[in-house]
Amino acid sequence: MIEAKNISKSFNNVQVLKDISATFEKGKNNLIIGQSGSGKTVLMKSLVGLLDVDQGEVYYNQENFLKMDFKQQKKIRKEIGMLFQGGALFDSMNVEDNVMFPLTIFTDWSYNKRLDRVNFCLERVNLKDVNRLFPAELSGGMKKRVAIARAISMNPQYLFCDEPNSGLDPRTSVMIDELIDELTKDLNMTTIINTHDMNSVLSMGDQIIFIDKGSIAWKGDKNEILHANNKTINDFVYVTEMAKRLKEH
Amino acid sequence: MRFLYHLGRYAMLMSQSIKKPERQKVFWNRVLIEIDKLGVNSIGIVLIISVFVGAVLALQAAFNMDSPWIPDYAVGLTTRQAIILEFSPTIISVILAGKVGSSIASEIGSMRISEQIDAMEIMGVNPASFLIAPKMIAAVIINPFLITLSMAVSIFGGWLGALVSDALTGDIYVFGIKSYFELYDVFYALFKTAIFAFIITSVSSYYGYYVKGGSIEVGHSSTRAVVSSSILIIFANLILTQLMLT
Repeated sequence: MIEAKNISKSFNNVQVLKDISATFEKGKNNLIIGQSGSGKTVLMKSLVGLLDVDQGEVYYNQENFLKMDFKQQKKIRKEIGMLFQGGALFDSMNVEDNVMFPLTIFTDWSYNKRLDRVNFCLERVNLKDVNRLFPAELSGGMKKRVAIARAISMNPQYLFCDEPNSGLDPRTSVMIDELIDELTKDLNMTTIINTHDMNSVLSMGDQIIFIDKGSIAWKGDKNEILHANNKTINDFVYVTEMAKRLKEH
Repeated sequence: MRFLYHLGRYAMLMSQSIKKPERQKVFWNRVLIEIDKLGVNSIGIVLIISVFVGAVLALQAAFNMDSPWIPDYAVGLTTRQAIILEFSPTIISVILAGKVGSSIASEIGSMRISEQIDAMEIMGVNPASFLIAPKMIAAVIINPFLITLSMAVSIFGGWLGALVSDALTGDIYVFGIKSYFELYDVFYALFKTAIFAFIITSVSSYYGYYVKGGSIEVGHSSTRAVVSSSILIIFANLILTQLMLT
């Protein structure tokens, strides 16, 4: 479980996050939603320590992450897998080396054992015979799947996904969502997903927080979001023509 | 103020870079890869520039020292001293700052903007130590070899220039090359080469590591890396010369 308490963050005197408090539960897909520029990515980066917060605390299983020294943070970080918006695969390494990277750095396993793990992770994300390909040779969906394989290679307790289906076609988006959902349940991870894709929200949102102008404007789940009594969230949910028409029917 | 800000951030990055790597074997493998990328791949440009500049230096020396008061072998001696003391260590290092420095800044800058460095940090890997330290060590090891090669090829170029132009005979040139030779000059040149190699790799890595924005900023950081490292090389050259040759 991850807990954020009173997180605030500003850039050049512009407050991007205002007193955010939320609990992200284990074995669930915890979605952070909101329009572009609302502060979702800043919140996610603050939770993993990529950005220093101005105020507030972040707890990983009741341990204050932001107060930890470098060694303690490193221990937690080995339990974190992160899927970046663009995949963030290492350009100079092929798929196999990308997925193997954390294993090479942090385990004493033999090459064969690491390779078995790489192949297992790649199979888990439905990829085969791609070991020797470089990121530049992969499609957008494949890149995301390789990035997921790399994120789960160390068997993490926590999975962070920053807009996992941005730039993907609807079918691949659904596939990535299903994959993340399946992995979250199977590996019993605390998964936090940043998204503004309503399909992801409705299919995966075990727990949802809606951020508007840096503050939490609504909390709920995928069943509650369509009937929320909140103008800001309704404006967000029913902004597309398709959603408007479905609401009318 | 801005200078102090950069200096402080540079010092912090360097202190991060020299931290113990997560895995020694992976680290030294990366050093070997960087030796190939930064050093071996630069041999061609070093050879071409060195042979021609060596030839031109010999010709200039021959044409400008055409006096009965100056012995002919002074052409070889002057060419050798110019090559060993300044041309090979300093000018070739400035050229390498352009080639290697821009490549380092754009490589690390691209990794920064595509979140590859963030990905490393999230995994618990120290990106500065993983990315920057192998480049610095590789350059400090390989650049003195490149410069030694440059010295040899430039002196050979000078010999070719002397022969082709008929300015003096090969024997006199070789006699001049051997005259008043001090091994300390080579040590001085290689020592400053190692310092310049550190400047090129660390300054370029610094500009790449802290890039913000997109591909245009990566380009800008790459230009800044080349300009700053070139200026710092020239400045360090002045100080080292003052300290080591006077």
